[in-house]
Amino acid sequence: MSTLALMRWLEATPDRYDAGMRAITLGRVTALHDAVSAEAAPGAGREVLEIGCGTGAVTRRLLERGARVLALDQSPEMLERARLRISASGDAPSERIRWLERTASEIDGLPHAAFDSVVLSLCLSEMSATERRFVLARASERLRPGGVLVAADEVRARGPARLLQLLARVPQSLLGWLLAGSTSRPIPDLRAEIEATGLVVRRERRWLADTLALCVAERTA
Amino acid sequence: MIGSAVRDLLQTAFRMAPWPTEAGLRRVGSPGRSSPVLLTSNYDLTVRRVERALRGVDAWLLVAPAHGINVWCAAAGGHLTTHQVVTALKTSGIDALVDHRELVVPQLAATGIEGLQVHRRSHWRVRFGPVRAEDLPAYLAAGGEKTDAMRRVDFSLRDRLEMAAAWACPTAIVLGALAAGLRPAWSLPLVGLCAALAVAVFTGLDRLPHGPGGRWAIAGVAALLCLACVALSGGGTPALVAAAAAPFGLVALLTFDYSGSTPLEGSVLFDGQDWRITLDAERCAGVYRCWEVCPEACFEKVAGESTIALAHDERCVRCGACVVQCPKDALHFEDATGRRIEPDTIRRFKLNLAGRRSVDVSAR
Repeated sequence: MSTLALMRWLEATPDRYDAGMRAITLGRVTALHDAVSAEAAPGAGREVLEIGCGTGAVTRRLLERGARVLALDQSPEMLERARLRISASGDAPSERIRWLERTASEIDGLPHAAFDSVVLSLCLSEMSATERRFVLARASERLRPGGVLVAADEVRARGPARLLQLLARVPQSLLGWLLAGSTSRPIPDLRAEIEATGLVVRRERRWLADTLALCVAERTA
Repeated sequence: MIGSAVRDLLQTAFRMAPWPTEAGLRRVGSPGRSSPVLLTSNYDLTVRRVERALRGVDAWLLVAPAHGINVWCAAAGGHLTTHQVVTALKTSGIDALVDHRELVVPQLAATGIEGLQVHRRSHWRVRFGPVRAEDLPAYLAAGGEKTDAMRRVDFSLRDRLEMAAAWACPTAIVLGALAAGLRPAWSLPLVGLCAALAVAVFTGLDRLPHGPGGRWAIAGVAALLCLACVALSGGGTPALVAAAAAPFGLVALLTFDYSGSTPLEGSVLFDGQDWRITLDAERCAGVYRCWEVCPEACFEKVAGESTIALAHDERCVRCGACVVQCPKDALHFEDATGRRIEPDTIRRFKLNLAGRRSVDVSAR
């Protein structure tokens, strides 16, 4: 019976992904979602590609801001929850949302220069360095000139906060795995990885003792 | 050398925890444009064992991002699927390094990776190689032909002792530390007991009788253990506590669901449903993909006909690899009341009943 309880708990992670993320970020994830959607869809009618939409927390905000969204996730369970969330939110803007069950690396099949914004919210830290390089490069190619890449994720803290982050690593990973079923590693230098693709970083914001970062980078030419 | 041995030991003792290593492409020997491309998961112990097994072979080793979990567990639990293979193929740049498009994948990943989907999405053709990494050189030398032994999972004494260590070490540390705080004298005996019980379970589990007889045997042993505890401690409160705890402990130990730790039995959890692999004989076209990927050799080719028979259902661990791989959708899960789990559901949600055991199937 004890195995069954453990299995139930672990296998129901998509159900409590959002609550889990809120718990391990001490609630800051909500501010992050708001900031990401505001940066990616400052006005109505923006074409947004959202890579790793998860349970659709950012997707819903993007749609509320009037964007047209292509939301991509590799997990059918997550996509199912995101769909439910959007249809439950009332106005059901079905003509402005498209879902795609694909991995981040498969954005290379999407047309070049077709989006005003590309969103990567809390998914880069789940990727290997090689995968991040590949995905960031392909994502920047999908942007129109003047379009922005909005990346938000767990990053390596600066200064004394780094020690705190290292100390919190084991309990935080365990909590993250048990609550949200997610294993991530802080990105050493998000800004540098984005700049390596040729994009120009316009703004950077940080939360939670500098461990959550938001980077907004523009495709200039 | 010493570093590697220490890592081997640590990772064997704590193999329940994920041990991720960097995913991506590695060179084994001096691979060229026609060298084989092999895939494995990014579980550090696995990657180092595969590299060791491939000594003397020139090959490309593609390490897929699978959350640092071993191949079978990752594939059954939905962490090593078509997505991770496509990601590894695309991001590694292997396309530019070889002239062929043939990927050798561990057979035990067949429950998670859909060969046809990988081909559709990356133009790479998937071949399911041997179960064990040690068989890779012979498999490659034979031009990709598997012997029957290469296809079957076994549970050698070494495997059993490794699993015993994986269970005993974390348990012994927790119980030993607890005892050190409360009753230091119990600490070492408890550590010893953990080790002994773990070895006993993993070497003897499949030799225990099943059914009601087995349960009586368990109850008998539990009662004897209680008496032994009382006798050894000379009575008093500790003896009573131990006597009360022992049968619970033993019953829990013997009825635990070891499906994820042994290849001996299918899981008994998933909502008490008795799901079985079922064959739609009229759909079977004799492709034999099921026969090729079944790690328990449950299938037999029917002589003189191009069709398959589910000849050894009793060995099935319900990993679902056969259902996932059948291009004709001729296999599915069915329970005694005729309820079915269709191949498409199994593929999409990894409802293979070995990795996901608690899912309410009727909700799908």
